Amino acid sequence: MNRSSDRPIAVQLSGVDKYYGAFQALSRIDLEVRKGEKIVICGPSGSGKSTLIRCINRLEPHDCGRIVVNGIELTSDPRSIEDVRLEVGMVFQQFNLFPHLTIIENCMLAPRLTRGRSKEATEKLARFYLERVHIGDQALKYPSQLSGGQQQRVAIARALCMEPPIMLFDEPTSSLDPEMINEVLQVMEELANDGMTMICVTHEMGFARRVANRCVFMDKGEIVEIAPTEEFFAAPRSDRLRAFIAQILH
Amino acid sequence: MDLFSGEFTGYARQMLYGGLVTIQLFLSGFSLALVCGTAVGIVSLSRNAVVQGAYRVYLSIITGVPSLLIIFLIYYGGGAMLARVFGHSRSFDVTPFSAGVASLTIVYSVYIAELVRGAVRNLPRGQFEAAAALAIRPWAAWLYIIIPQLVRLALPGLINIWLIVLKDTPLVSLAGLNELVGTAKIAAGATKKPFLFFITASLFFILFSAVTLRLSALLERRFARGIAEVKA
Amino acid sequence: MSGLPIDPHLAWVNLPAMGHGLLINIIMTFLTLGIGLFTSLLVTLARMSKNRVISAVAGLYVVFFRGVPLLILLYLVYYGLGQIEGVRKGPLWLIFGSAFSCAIICLVLNHTAFMVEVVRGALEAVPVGLIEASRALGISPRHVFFRIRLPLAMRYGLKAYQNEVVMFAKGTAVVGTITVVDLTAVANGVFEETYDPFTPILTAAALYWVFVNTVRIGFYRLDQHLNRHLITDEMQRRSVVVPKKAETSRPSPVAIGIAIPAVRERVL
Repeated sequence: MNRSSDRPIAVQLSGVDKYYGAFQALSRIDLEVRKGEKIVICGPSGSGKSTLIRCINRLEPHDCGRIVVNGIELTSDPRSIEDVRLEVGMVFQQFNLFPHLTIIENCMLAPRLTRGRSKEATEKLARFYLERVHIGDQALKYPSQLSGGQQQRVAIARALCMEPPIMLFDEPTSSLDPEMINEVLQVMEELANDGMTMICVTHEMGFARRVANRCVFMDKGEIVEIAPTEEFFAAPRSDRLRAFIAQILH
Repeated sequence: MDLFSGEFTGYARQMLYGGLVTIQLFLSGFSLALVCGTAVGIVSLSRNAVVQGAYRVYLSIITGVPSLLIIFLIYYGGGAMLARVFGHSRSFDVTPFSAGVASLTIVYSVYIAELVRGAVRNLPRGQFEAAAALAIRPWAAWLYIIIPQLVRLALPGLINIWLIVLKDTPLVSLAGLNELVGTAKIAAGATKKPFLFFITASLFFILFSAVTLRLSALLERRFARGIAEVKA
Repeated sequence: MSGLPIDPHLAWVNLPAMGHGLLINIIMTFLTLGIGLFTSLLVTLARMSKNRVISAVAGLYVVFFRGVPLLILLYLVYYGLGQIEGVRKGPLWLIFGSAFSCAIICLVLNHTAFMVEVVRGALEAVPVGLIEASRALGISPRHVFFRIRLPLAMRYGLKAYQNEVVMFAKGTAVVGTITVVDLTAVANGVFEETYDPFTPILTAAALYWVFVNTVRIGFYRLDQHLNRHLITDEMQRRSVVVPKKAETSRPSPVAIGIAIPAVRERVL
């Protein structure tokens, strides 16, 4: 079940703390994610799950400890931040598509600006990823003309267009109507099967069981338990996790 | 009265000039206010306490005092103020027109700054975050993502201010500028035909407003491209 | 930077006259606002009426009196109407002969036109769901309007109303042009006597500033009072966030509060 541990480390957090004023949002976080691994982070609200992955791409700065992404250490130096962001793609709960641009323009913007490629090459790239999330035919539409599920798939394509080796998902289906959750999860599963390194914060336990190699349970800013998926659900070691699973899988 | 008498055409021509002066005054004042106001608005977003304090004082003064008083202050006192700043050796004559442009700029920059601030605050934070996550550099994010959306957000307010500035221009006639309303008053007094000239002046403003509203509807539609209307 | 040459003695001597001028502005403001509450409700209802003619006439009214600068209106009424024989010799002269009443008429006409937008926005901001629920409860349309829609509209429209009132209060400064002796006219008078450009104008500005901010504080208190049902914490008093004219966002759903008792009340 374990991915062989001679794969390179994609993301490493050691001793990470984070404070919002006096409130400690993250406490002594140690996490190692290998290349190709799929990690699901779950836990009650307020447990720090989103904060954790937002620290990985510096949307939030961490206060103590080290974060290393593909060998690049994340510090307050803007260059390190930019380098890390090029390694890591992010999908948000609220999609955050740019409303004034068409779908394909949304996807093309970042590659054009950062990689400096030609318009034709970028367009080809964008179309490729839009097809990959099964939304190629809507390329010229605006986000407001699409459903939530479609918008989120576009958001995934947009992140993929930067061709990052690691993808972060911050509760990607939490804002979706139930009937649209599956289309997004399916895209994520296909991505996983293609070998993408993924860290997902999600409540979708079915998805976790199908796709994740390991699961992380967080509560009150700490990592309470990390285990391979089967073990995580079948034989949780900590009481808190047991209680959580009982609540989730009713 | 003869509609074609020399007297009438004389005043008609003056009214035309007056209208042109109004338009000049309006366009100069508004565009200066737009430029200065945007700059002030962006600068005022800084976290520096002094900057914020200065902005708040400026805002409080302008929003608490009628623009007419500012016009009078600049017109009557402008010369003395400039002499104070640049030295008493030069004498400064403040023309009604320049006093008008200066006061319109001073007053409406603040309103535009408020618009800019409001628009930035109303823009969803997620847009900034998405741009950051995609490793888009700040200047590029502002140029391609933030500013286009700010314009859409600020547009209704801008149109509002456009119309308000337009209707403030007649106040400069009280400082002696012969723009449309000032000319109308003179003509009305001389010919004893107040209705004729004042209604004409009114029509000018109403027409201008109507055209503005028409064009603004088109503008709003163009900028709202892609944004779904929120149905009640 | 050396201070502007304000002559404190001059300011002091003219303070009573300026105070009197300010009083004129204050009276005009409140008089107009009072009358305006009725007239704007009327015109707004006319504008929203299903009768095409009434709606069109109200629409024209709004277009005209919003589009015409107050100064022209003042000239039109004071100088224009004063020229008509019929007005001069008739009983209407009681009204139109006085500069003060001419000013009030113009102010009301102008203010009402802007208020139509405020009132309409406020009425439309009341969530449709509340109206429907009221009707479903069997409440008569008249009561639905006066007991539910109107009181809520007042709360939703407060910010927009405040904006209009403040702009309007400052706008009254222009009545000096038709010989009403308001604060600006007094300041001008002092200038013409003394050629001191700063003292009278700055003093007048300070007085206006005090007036305007008093109005603002008044609105703040009013907002606190009207929305006391939304106070959830003794220490936390916040005003209802209502969109200004320029913003397109809809009012927060939090601001719905009919018949919800103040949460502070203890249930024994």
